[in-house]
Amino acid sequence: MYIKKVVCISPQDTIKDNFPQTGIIEFDALQCPAIEPDYAGLIPRGLLRRMGKAIRMGVGAGLPLLTGNKDIEGIIIGTANGGLEDCIKFLNQIVKYNEGTLTPTNFVQSTPNSLGGTLALMGQNSGYNVTHVNKGLSFESALMDAQMLIEAGDAKTLLVGCIEEISTYNTNIYTMDGFLKKEALLSSELLNSETKGTINGEGATMFVVDQNGENALARIIDTGQITHPNHEDLLECLNALLRRNQLEMSDLDAVLLGYNGDQSTDHWYKQLSHSFDEGTGLYSYKNLVGDFPTVSGFALFLVLKLIELGEIPKEMILKGSNRSLGKVLIYNHHRGVQHGFILVESLA
Amino acid sequence: MQILKKRVFVTGYGIVSAIGNNVEENLNSLRAGKTGIKKANHFQSKYVDEFSFGEVNLSNQELIDEIQFEDSSDLTRTDLFAIKAFQEALKYSGLELNEIANAETALLSASTVGGMCLTDQMYNDANLVIDRPSPYLAAYWNAAHTILLAKQYGIKGFTDTINTACSSSANTIMMGSRLIKAGRANRAIVGGTDSLAKFTVNGFNSLQILSSKACQPFDRDRSGITLGEGAAYLVLESEDVIGDRPLLAEVSGYGNSNDAFHPSSLSEDAIGVCAAMNKALQSAKISPDQIDYINAHGTATPNNDQVELTGIQKLFNRIPAYNSTKSYTGHTLAAAGSIEAIYSILSLKHQELYPSLQCKIPIEPFNQFPIKEFKKDQKLKYAMSNSFGFAGNCTSLILSKVS
Amino acid sequence: MEVAALKLKLKEQIIEYLNLMDLKPEDITDEEPLFGPNLGLDSIDSIELIVLLEREYGLKIKNPADGRKILVDVNHIADYIIENTKV
Repeated sequence: MYIKKVVCISPQDTIKDNFPQTGIIEFDALQCPAIEPDYAGLIPRGLLRRMGKAIRMGVGAGLPLLTGNKDIEGIIIGTANGGLEDCIKFLNQIVKYNEGTLTPTNFVQSTPNSLGGTLALMGQNSGYNVTHVNKGLSFESALMDAQMLIEAGDAKTLLVGCIEEISTYNTNIYTMDGFLKKEALLSSELLNSETKGTINGEGATMFVVDQNGENALARIIDTGQITHPNHEDLLECLNALLRRNQLEMSDLDAVLLGYNGDQSTDHWYKQLSHSFDEGTGLYSYKNLVGDFPTVSGFALFLVLKLIELGEIPKEMILKGSNRSLGKVLIYNHHRGVQHGFILVESLA
Repeated sequence: MQILKKRVFVTGYGIVSAIGNNVEENLNSLRAGKTGIKKANHFQSKYVDEFSFGEVNLSNQELIDEIQFEDSSDLTRTDLFAIKAFQEALKYSGLELNEIANAETALLSASTVGGMCLTDQMYNDANLVIDRPSPYLAAYWNAAHTILLAKQYGIKGFTDTINTACSSSANTIMMGSRLIKAGRANRAIVGGTDSLAKFTVNGFNSLQILSSKACQPFDRDRSGITLGEGAAYLVLESEDVIGDRPLLAEVSGYGNSNDAFHPSSLSEDAIGVCAAMNKALQSAKISPDQIDYINAHGTATPNNDQVELTGIQKLFNRIPAYNSTKSYTGHTLAAAGSIEAIYSILSLKHQELYPSLQCKIPIEPFNQFPIKEFKKDQKLKYAMSNSFGFAGNCTSLILSKVS
Repeated sequence: MEVAALKLKLKEQIIEYLNLMDLKPEDITDEEPLFGPNLGLDSIDSIELIVLLEREYGLKIKNPADGRKILVDVNHIADYIIENTKV
């Protein structure tokens, strides 16, 4: 499966074509809010007024791709939460008005499949349409869905992507359950942090994927995933992924690791790093945007940008390498429970 | 990766719904034409007097006692339904625990409510109303029950949670079958779960599409949805690993489409509905006249039933025997697709058709009643099961009798 | 004067409830059809307006068909409020 195009809205200035040459933005907070584009001209105001941030960002990233390519046959979205802000707003109405007469807009907007439906409606796309809500593996599940459709010959071109939003409510819940740190720190210091928890991020990343490799940016070789593994299970999951694609550890030129500065779960990355080849470059990405369940979509966007650019921002380098980005592995886990691999090959 | 196109069979099923706590009880209710829609006993809401519900006849404590988990202190009703139906499906398939605790077994589940059945606890946690968090912080997600099942049963293969509103679990059956066909799993346990929640009751009520009487699918004077709850899981297996165990049905085809018309209603000319059914027929490589029975989506909203019949009329030369088993269970949202797939399998397995309840006057201009009474000794080869959801998500499945 | 104040307040509330971000009260005339091409409101908005009347004025519209007769423009809604909140 080949990637033809990508649009990314993230806490970095990724809506500019020349990112990351624009420089890496540093955050000094518990949150990294996304830089949103001007939606005027893209989203009619009658629709925009109802959209929560997640939907708005998803439409902002996905609609230009959809309207720009009439060959797109279906829309596949990964999101752990969808429009959580709207969801809790509706919940708050239920409590505040004691289940009285409630306004439906928050309810309709809060269902996680709302973005997939909105894109289908605005792009008049009546093809395949599925929303994966598999928490920290939502994007990996969406990619697998797309890859199987393309490999089985059921589709040639698809839109696949992911969204997540920061809301007051997920911040509250994440803080209580220990996902977020208690005190803000510089994002440049995140990976050296000695405390538990991470910082919150958000964004939307949308890809046009295709059966045909002509003018493609990269090829998704395969994805792998495992839930509740031990270290041995995890290594075997990666080995199985490599084996079924006739690859070996030494074939990996670079690995993007999801270090998020959480001292209780970063050991997964460290442990797996021992298995990589001496010459394999190791890179981070969450110190650029924070952590959220579909952050691997941003990581995949980064890989495409780095391939295009041919160099890697110093902020990302954990262990440098003189090998060019040929075959790249993205490894991300969500809270040490759900672990995903995305294997990418450069076509540059 | 090489595409192998394995055949996919159903080797186990489990269900909990308003008409029974297992497959056997559900079958008996369908045969007797006995609905499960009534006043709620367990669900607490301002609306329990105004509306009837398809509520499961078990309290949370009774469910906890049945599943026999070591620790059930943070399980939601959604989780409990999922575990109960999952356990029955596994038991029916005859698979040992070590046969699913590996990387070749996939788990795909669906929920739209997740832990939001705990509306008040979630309100407190999300708004920091009390300074001590509830024990349910990890339970609110749609995926919470999937992660729980994967942990409990040591499933190390592909996992997924799908939320396409009311078509969610139909899509897990489709996606699980595709994983097996592609050789990416030997087995896939698929299905969905949802419990009654203030969130959905108030949500559907705010859209003014709940019926104040028991729902009347395909009746001219139908007035909306009756909400239900439950869970259902199916064990899907590749032809390579079934051995000589009994087969319940084959998953022959599936189609998925988006109506691309409106956030909460279907287009009058049934664009998504027709596309989903048409794709399902193509993937099963059969013609419309080979479909012997349709388990319709049939929510009993004015919009859905009219559009669904319009779509069926367009595609089929004559409308096949059809029913809406939501007249028994109410609309169980993310569980509906898998519950209704199991009802379709029961029809195929026993070669019988179950009556659609509450339809007194058929819809014009079709003027064709759904199945009116229990019919035995049928000749049924292919059954179609339709599921359509908010945001235009339409899915149609085709299941067939194994000869 | 009292009626004018009511209409202004109503316009502010319509903008708030329907999240008509880029409109000011003076952009909506008293006769502007709410469901006409200019404002472009739809069926979900009509439910939102019914909720507005209940929460802000204590007026319950049970039947959606009645809603259609009342939710024509600001004039019609204001008349309905005055008519039904008289002591």
